[in-house]
This record gives sequence, structure tokens and C-alpha cells, in this order.
Amino acid sequence: MALLEGRGLSMAFGGLLALRGVDIAIEEHQVVGLLGPNGSGKTTLFNILSGLLRPTAGEVWFSGCRVTNLAPWRLSGLGVGRTFQIARPFAHSTVLDNVLVGITFRSRHRYRRTLDRRREAERLLATVGLAEKAPARATELSLGERKRLELAMALSTRPTVLLLDELASGLSPKGREEVVRFYGRLKERGLTIFAIEHAFRILAHVADRLVVLDQGTIVAEGRPEQVLGSPRVVQAYLGDDDGP
Amino acid sequence: MRRGAWIGIGLVAVMLLVLPPLTGFHPYYLYLVSTALLFGTVATSWNLLAYAGQISFGHAAFFGLGGYGAALASLAGSSPWLAILLGGAVGAVGAAGIGLASARLRGAYLALATLAYAEIWRGVAHNWTAVSGGGAGLIGIPPLPTLAWLPLDFTRGRAGGYYLSLAFLLLVIAVFWGILRSRLGLAFAAVREEEERAGLLGVHPLPWKILAFALSGFFSALAGGLYVHMVRVVEPDLIFSRYFSILPLVMATFGGLHTLLGPAAAALGLYLVSELLLHPYVPAFHQLPYALALIVVVLYLPGGLAGLFPSPRPSPPSPLSSPPVGERAGGGGRHGAA
Ligand SMILES: Nc1ncnc2c1ncn2[C@@H]1O[C@H](COP(=O)(O)OP(=O)(O)OP(=O)(O)O)[C@@H](O)[C@H]1O
Ligand SMILES: [Mg+2]
Repeated sequence: MALLEGRGLSMAFGGLLALRGVDIAIEEHQVVGLLGPNGSGKTTLFNILSGLLRPTAGEVWFSGCRVTNLAPWRLSGLGVGRTFQIARPFAHSTVLDNVLVGITFRSRHRYRRTLDRRREAERLLATVGLAEKAPARATELSLGERKRLELAMALSTRPTVLLLDELASGLSPKGREEVVRFYGRLKERGLTIFAIEHAFRILAHVADRLVVLDQGTIVAEGRPEQVLGSPRVVQAYLGDDDGP
Repeated sequence: MRRGAWIGIGLVAVMLLVLPPLTGFHPYYLYLVSTALLFGTVATSWNLLAYAGQISFGHAAFFGLGGYGAALASLAGSSPWLAILLGGAVGAVGAAGIGLASARLRGAYLALATLAYAEIWRGVAHNWTAVSGGGAGLIGIPPLPTLAWLPLDFTRGRAGGYYLSLAFLLLVIAVFWGILRSRLGLAFAAVREEEERAGLLGVHPLPWKILAFALSGFFSALAGGLYVHMVRVVEPDLIFSRYFSILPLVMATFGGLHTLLGPAAAALGLYLVSELLLHPYVPAFHQLPYALALIVVVLYLPGGLAGLFPSPRPSPPSPLSSPPVGERAGGGGRHGAA
């Protein structure tokens, strides 16, 4: 059974059809990569799966339950976590407080004692390499640090499935590689990852499956080598000239 | 906070405690400083609401509801202490009500809704003559009782009101201090900074916003209830006056948005300068300090007075900078407030 599933998801913004009947199933303990050109509807799909948007049509299922239109805090309580393409931290709060919010208000694995919550926050920041930045304000972070804070915030609710929106974008080639390799580590820790990335060649190393979205429709999906070898993908996503 | 700051606060508190005997229990000065303290309470309450991301232009509604609630209870024979507490409860409910009704509004739109709310209550007080006494208001509100276990001078006349005003101000500051250190403060700041993100991290924003309104309304209404027991009349244009909406806003932003002590310090400073220094000499311009304070904050001191003292507290953005509902990318604000 799929952990997170979209069935026939469509999303219209006025006359613009951002998603046109998308069927997607994310299996437990897999890393699934989502590719597609700009404006193809990737972020919109995440917004629906995380409860920020109501789909115009279609359903969302989590772990065998219909969860369409559940509020974000309910989905988060079930185990859905996400990051934002453009980081959206609590800008004027400290980095520590940024991760404490999820640790404090998640509905599962709550700690009663402040000290336990603080310890977990510090552990989490250490995991993403932000331990030293704990007392800094989120606004003071560099782009790379903001991306890591995004990840830490998403992890702070102890999700079972993570929706990661271009976490590696904007980083140096080395930084991108590091981030994407980290997906593999998260998978080893039992998480399920659904990640939007443009760095598909790196993604291909860690992903179990790739899905390609174009103009709101899934145009290809399968094992990485299969997808990256398909002429349709080359045309839709990579352009005619610079194939892999 | 640094040690110097604590010493400063201690000195001010002691000064305020010994002020009545120092002035020989002078009724006029005690009345002035009490009013300044009440403004400090409302400004701190206003700031508590702002800490949760909600800017009000209508705190007169809560102040006035507290005033009428307390006046009616006292006139019905309840003890003034209980009456003021009941007034506080009325203000809390009234504030929670507007918080709920305007749940989908942000920024300037929310501010306008609260402004209208205060005006509506003023209209109700004018027209619901059977209960509110209409435009003439209610008279014969009893004074605060004296306390047998304290020296008479300290509780009778203006002194009783003075010490209770001081107690209310210290209470609301203590509560705010506690909130800043608790889960409440974390939730308030999260909802203020990124409401959608807060939702994704398990914080259902609406109950927290309503709670902030209720707390802010409660303390403002306590001040209103005490105020009517000091002046012993209540009239719609007096107690729902726009002053009680605008001055706390000016005081809090001038003192330092989201800071613990800035609003109260600014309230005392601005009100006393206006009433003690300017009013006797240039009565026509005695409101000038509020206008100047606002200009100074907008042009030179975005963090308010507190911005002059570097502290670990975040310096806040301008109060009206948050976008209205629906402007956030991706979210459409659907669950932001629902
Ligand atoms: N809230 C919204 N209101 C109106 N249109 C929107 C909204 N969100 C997205 N769109 C539109 O829907 C389409 C899909 O956008 P989306 O952000 O999902 O694309 P994307 O695949 O994430 O692109 P990118 O790679 O640039 O991040 C775009 O045309 C976009 O302009
Ligand atoms: Mg996107």
C-alpha cells in the first residue's frame, strides 16, 4: 500500500490548469524524485499534498485513509512534513525557536519537559549542521543555512513522509550533491522522501523512482535510468539539445 | 536582560511605590500618574496582541466594555473588586468575539475591523439607553473600598486607585513575561511570523489568535473597570474614546513593538510629558508628543525606544507590513485562519 497518494488531482487557478488529473503514489521507505520544467505544477502538487491548497478535483490518501482537504496541522499530525522552495522560516525568531515550534506542537511524540524539547531541537540542528547558529535569528542565515533550516523545520514534527521542494537549488554543485545524498540517509532512517529537484543526475543516484511532470500532467515515471533514457523526457524536460 | 536594565526597572518600581506619600497624596498628581499607569496597562495589552501578529486600532472597545461591565456590576451592588474582575471578563469575551469575527483578516484590514468594532460599541452605548444610560452615561459608581489592613492614607481617595493601577500594570507585564518564556509565546511568534508554516508544524492558528485577543482584551478591560471606579462616571464618548485605541498603539510602537517593557515605559513618559509639562503651558498642543513619537518611530526608530538598547529580542517589522489574506504564495490562505 502506498503511504501517500494523489488520485486524479486537478488544480485550476482561474482559467489556468496547473494540474490535470495527476495520479501519484509514494511507496513507503522510497525516495521518489519529481522533475519537470518551470511552471509544470510541481509545487502546486506539494501544496495540495500538504493541505495548503484544496484540489479542484481528485483525492489525497495517506496510509489508506482519505485525507483530501484536511487542514495542514491535521496532515502534519498524521506524518506529512514539507519544505518550501523559497525558505519560509519564522524570520525574526531564533533558529532554535524555529525548530522548537514543530517539536512543541506536533501531535505525536510530545515531550512534557521543556528541557527534552530543547535537547531534541539542539540534536536536530546538529544533524543539519546548524548547531552553532541556534541563537541567531533566521534572517541572519545565508542561503545554504536557510535551506538546512528548512529541512530541520520539516523534520521537527517527526514526519513519516517528507515533501522536499528544490532543497538543493541555488547551492553550489558540492552543496547540491551533499543535500541530495542526505536524502539517502533520511531513507535509511525510515523516512519516505518525495523530492522536487532540478539536479536530476544527482537525484538519479539516490532515487528509487522518478516522476516527470509537464504542464500539469505526468509524462513519465519509473526507475531513474529508465526515465532519463526516455526520448519523451528528453524532449519535454531537458530540451532537444542537451540530453543527458 | 542586562543587569543595568533590571536595576533601572527596580528603581522605577520603587519610585512609583513611594510616589503617593512623596506627593503628600496629592489627588491631582496621583490621578495623572494612575491614568498613565492605566495607559501603560492598555499599551502592554495591545503589544501582547501585536506579539501574536494582530494590530488593533480598537482597544477602546475592550477598555470601554470593561468600564461598562464593571460600572453595571458595581451599580447592581457587587463589590467593586468583583465588578472590575467581571469587567475584565466582559472585555475578554468582547475581544475574543472580534478576534473570531475577523479571523480571516490580516494587517490593515484587521486593524480597520477593530476600529469599526470600537465605534460600534460606542454607538451601542449611546443608544441602548435602558442599560447604558445613553449619551449621559451612568453616574454614582461607588469608589474603591479602603482596606482595613493597610494605613488609611494608602487606600483612600486617589491613592487606592493609584496602587491598583500600578498592580495591574505589574500584573500584565508579569503575564507577558511569562508568555514570552512559554509555549504560548512560541505559538504567538510562529503565527505572527509565518502563519501557514505554523499550521504545517502543528499549530492551528485560530485558537492562538483568539487567545491573544482574549488576554489582551481582559487586561485592557481591567484597566477600564478600574478607570470608571476612579472617575466614578461612565459615558460612551469618554470610555469608548478613540484615544484609548490610538494612544496605546502609539505608545507601544514608540516604546518598542514586541518588547516587554517598552510600551509601558513609553506610556508613562509620553502621557506625563503631555499632561504635566505641556498641558499647563501650551494646552492646545499637549497632544503633540504622540504625533512626534509616531513620526520618530516611522522615520528614525523602527524598533522604537527599545531599539536604542541592543537586546537579544528580535527587532520587529513595521506593524502594518503584513499582507492581507490570500496574498501568500501557494497557500491562498485557506487554512491560515479557518
Ligand atoms: N496560488 C496561485 N495562484 C495562481 N496561480 C498559481 C498559484 N500557484 C501556482 N500558480 C500557477 O500554476 C502553475 C504551476 O506553478 P507551480 O508553482 O506549481 O510550478 P512549479 O512546477 O513548482 O515551477 P517551478 O519549477 O518554477 O517552481 C504556474 O503557471 C503558476 O503560475
Ligand atoms: Mg516550484
